Amino acid sequence: MTTTTPANAELRKRVEKLRSLPSSPAVLQPLLDLLRRPPDEIELSQVVQLVSYEKTITAQLLRIANSPLYARARPAESIQSAIFTLGIQRIEDILLSNCFSNLVPRDKWVVDPAVFWRHSFGCALVCREFAERIDYYDPDKAYLAGLLHDLGIIVNSLAYTDEYRTVLAEAFQSGRPLDEQEKQTLGFTHCESGVILGKTWQLPEAICEVIEWHHDIEHAPPTNPLIALVHLGDLLCRLRGLGYGYEEWRAIDLAADPAWPELARHCPKLANIDLARFTLDLDAFVVRITKLVDTIFSPALALTG
Amino acid sequence: MAAETQAQSLAANPPKDADDRDPVYLKIRDLVYQACGIYHSEEKIYLLAGACKRRMALSRAKESRQYLDLISSPSTRVLELRELLNEITIGETCLFRSTPQLTALQNVILPELIATRSKIGLRKLRIWSAGCSTGEEPYTLSMFLLEQSEKLLKGWTFEISATDLNDRSIETAKAGVYGTYALRNTTDLYRRKYFMPSDGDKLQVKDEVRSRITFSRLNLSDDTKMLFMKGIDLVFCCNVLIYFDIPSKKRVVQHFFSNLQAPGYFFLGHAESLYQITDQFRLVHLPGTTTYLKAAPGSEGTPRP
Repeated sequence: MTTTTPANAELRKRVEKLRSLPSSPAVLQPLLDLLRRPPDEIELSQVVQLVSYEKTITAQLLRIANSPLYARARPAESIQSAIFTLGIQRIEDILLSNCFSNLVPRDKWVVDPAVFWRHSFGCALVCREFAERIDYYDPDKAYLAGLLHDLGIIVNSLAYTDEYRTVLAEAFQSGRPLDEQEKQTLGFTHCESGVILGKTWQLPEAICEVIEWHHDIEHAPPTNPLIALVHLGDLLCRLRGLGYGYEEWRAIDLAADPAWPELARHCPKLANIDLARFTLDLDAFVVRITKLVDTIFSPALALTG
Repeated sequence: MAAETQAQSLAANPPKDADDRDPVYLKIRDLVYQACGIYHSEEKIYLLAGACKRRMALSRAKESRQYLDLISSPSTRVLELRELLNEITIGETCLFRSTPQLTALQNVILPELIATRSKIGLRKLRIWSAGCSTGEEPYTLSMFLLEQSEKLLKGWTFEISATDLNDRSIETAKAGVYGTYALRNTTDLYRRKYFMPSDGDKLQVKDEVRSRITFSRLNLSDDTKMLFMKGIDLVFCCNVLIYFDIPSKKRVVQHFFSNLQAPGYFFLGHAESLYQITDQFRLVHLPGTTTYLKAAPGSEGTPRP
């Protein structure tokens, strides 16, 4: 699917380097496995096992569960009670952000990690809600796709740290969409770099397609509605303060976006969605997501260095 | 597990008042939305509960369920709904109420209007504040556009038609005198530049601001008069249509559509939607806000099938 150009070969070479990075996250595969399953099929013991992969995680979960965000009557003292307080979904979110935090050294984060996760969790949540409202058959898969769609931003931060700082600075300045700015400055986007890592990590094919095509609907494989769904969810998030930390000054007619008819082909209910109302509900997500991410990343709770 | 998770996630966001979680308010929310098109998302439901409680204090309904009966039963429905809407929108009017709307105007919409109008040799913008109440909205727009007159709107003029059904509101609007509550969002820059002292700590808008506005009485349901409002670039109609029943709302919105020049924009109040009122306008997302677009014929994006 991807043609080999010099820029592409260079990119591949740089991404290859990622494999030699110390913390190829051991927790990732079982975690993704868990994320793909509906909540009622998940056993508590599996989650406990997952949490125990990293000693630091347990302490962090307990601290988050006992933070004012989750006003508990009595402090959570065991992993189990922390899991009950936070809920499986939150645990998964925290584990995932933690495993990427370990992957990327602090000085290599070009996008502020809190901003990145706010966007990723926000997009995940919006994609799941969106999926439910239009009767897409697998909302949890939509959540996972939303969560991982911007993996390439991590790749670019790691492999192109300095150039990527320039890209971000330019995008902040111009208010242009990040992918356009990447294309202009780097010659490729986080979609192209993200999918290389996604394939290396053997993420599910449908997720790899979302990573690769979510900014290029016209060329996307027509068989995977998740691409269009994540594309639209991503746009919504970016216009509701869950973007990359800057405002993109443009008006977006989602229903005129090529992703709209594409998604409608798979989910006819899209034609009747009350988008204005959904957008107002988004504001509630924004509050929730911001609180969660702030709790994960608040200095008192930060563990990894 | 799933139920536990949900209950816990609710506990994560302690509401301002336990009553706000009363499911009856969700029913009232949906009822208000269907009848008026004004929507309260999860984080705003406490506002609706507050409005209901203020009404309950004045009526024979002592519990939320009784109040639900009051606004659903055929004999009391129409009157009580109107009273509730008054409570919902109370205190909503102040100058510079919607910052996202103004920043979107400045960064997205004005540049677009200037570009499209310049092409056909126009250098004048016509703005209509429909249901201007006591004048806060038209004065805000007038000051905001005056601020742009040395920047974006250099060489341009603008005129604002401000209409309302209520004669007394129009008289108050014409006086242009505001107290500290109405001025709570007005920055020092605007206060100094566009106001002069009036009684006590009140401020009065300067003639420069007022001279751009024509105040008049207009009933939006008056089809004949509505036909005369032609060549409008921007319509603002905030928290007005909520008082109309669905057929009248459709008719009024149809008038707004024909009064607008394409591309032209139709702004509603923050929580209002045109869902199932019309398909002619296109919902457009802007950073932090939404608006409705009358697209130019043949422009990108075909109407939804």
